[in-house]
Amino acid sequence: MHRAAYLAFDRFPSAKGSAVHIRHMAAELFDRYGGGLLCVLGGGELPAYQREGGVEIVRFTDVVPNLLDRAEAFSRWAADRLAPHRDTLEICHVRDPWGALPALSTGARLVYEANGLPSIELPYAWPLAAPSTLAKIREREERCLQEADAVVVPSRVIVKAVTGRGAAPDRVHLVPNGADPVPADVPRPPTAPDRYVIYVGALQPWQGVDVLLRAFARLADRTDLTLVVCSSVSPARARPLRRLGERLGVRIQWEHQIPHADVAAWLAHADLSVAPLTAGPRNLDQGCSPIKVWESMAAGTAVVASDLPVIREVLGDHGRLVPPDRPAELARAIRVLLEYPDACRELGERARRHVEAGFTWKHARARLADVYDRVEAH
Amino acid sequence: MTPCAVTTGFFTLGKCGQMAVAGCPACGRAVCADHLADGGMCPECAAARRQFGHPAAAAAARRRAYRHRQAQYYGDAGYYSGFDDYDRAAFEPGAAAHQDYLDDGDDALVDS
Ligand SMILES: [Zn+2]
Ligand SMILES: [Zn+2]
Repeated sequence: MHRAAYLAFDRFPSAKGSAVHIRHMAAELFDRYGGGLLCVLGGGELPAYQREGGVEIVRFTDVVPNLLDRAEAFSRWAADRLAPHRDTLEICHVRDPWGALPALSTGARLVYEANGLPSIELPYAWPLAAPSTLAKIREREERCLQEADAVVVPSRVIVKAVTGRGAAPDRVHLVPNGADPVPADVPRPPTAPDRYVIYVGALQPWQGVDVLLRAFARLADRTDLTLVVCSSVSPARARPLRRLGERLGVRIQWEHQIPHADVAAWLAHADLSVAPLTAGPRNLDQGCSPIKVWESMAAGTAVVASDLPVIREVLGDHGRLVPPDRPAELARAIRVLLEYPDACRELGERARRHVEAGFTWKHARARLADVYDRVEAH
Repeated sequence: MTPCAVTTGFFTLGKCGQMAVAGCPACGRAVCADHLADGGMCPECAAARRQFGHPAAAAAARRRAYRHRQAQYYGDAGYYSGFDDYDRAAFEPGAAAHQDYLDDGDDALVDS
């Protein structure tokens, strides 16, 4: 019988930033409540069931081709998993409406972590989703956000979106993502090029990786320089961008789904890290707290990133901001920084100190603990 | 020595590897003393039995539950409108923006 549950319609663990996030948030929850139940997506080699000390991990493994059906099936499955713990459950921590709805029906306190909103983000991957369908999804988001005892957001940008959906402003709490310090002597990855600019993350259109490729095409004269793309998705999913890279004749080294523990070394030995996010509604209205930027900073590597409110929140003046969606401007910024290696190193050092002083995962967990304190006191 | 083949870990997963003391009667995998669950089974098979009576019944039960697609599955459903076939059509695998995105089972609704 568990006192706490964490539910996420995400595969866990995985190479994605969301998995890093779940890892730390769930650890705080389970440490506090002497274990608990983790309901996540499975697949691949992941076991359907694990017990790790006081933590039980159950994974949804049904093959349901339609995404909406899959989400609803997950919800029903999660409701069944929670049912035996109804009498003891004090708190449920969720990341999406499909975890939140079954959690609400248990009567436990609800902490809703709004890293993103499906009604904003789904149309990017599912362009045929009708406005009326998105309205239904939004309806679910509203219900969950209104009833949540606390709403945790990673960025100030998303606050407006969640209060606009009925979250009480005094229940919305900012818990930015973070990154753990990278040891100064982390060894260079054996296959790393001599000099490289790095991109780490997924490849959805709003990540702006195509802008980075176009910028790199303008740096063709820098024959000493390679672009390393550490993709959190498989080679097949990178196909359109790989094709674009070939067409542009850009020197790219693709690294796919490398274990998270190895990413820090890739970041630490890069000349620069780039976060070329686009200026679409996903980044402007919903926001995010890009783990790649936090991790680059923690590795002491200078960051060049799109000038967007979400990035300013993370990077402050500890990096170089460029107008989004402008390959020429991005190329120029990269070129200038590479020409001043001392300034570049200094920028990276400052970013590292900034993270160490207030934005490690330990800090994020302490902020989350404050939220749990408040929820319990209510 | 036969190493225990149960997967362990929270964020970084691996095989347990301790000395196995039994084979799971349901799936045959080697299990150590720490991982031996009800009925001498591995934790996964034991959990499936608790849930469905017998591991073999698990898949069938899940298929049944899936077909049972009515709106009243949790709490006060009906509070909001259900999804219909028109809603669902946009989320068929063939409707994704990038077909290439579908091959590694990436389900996330939002990304960090
Ligand atoms: Zn077994
Ligand atoms: Zn074992």
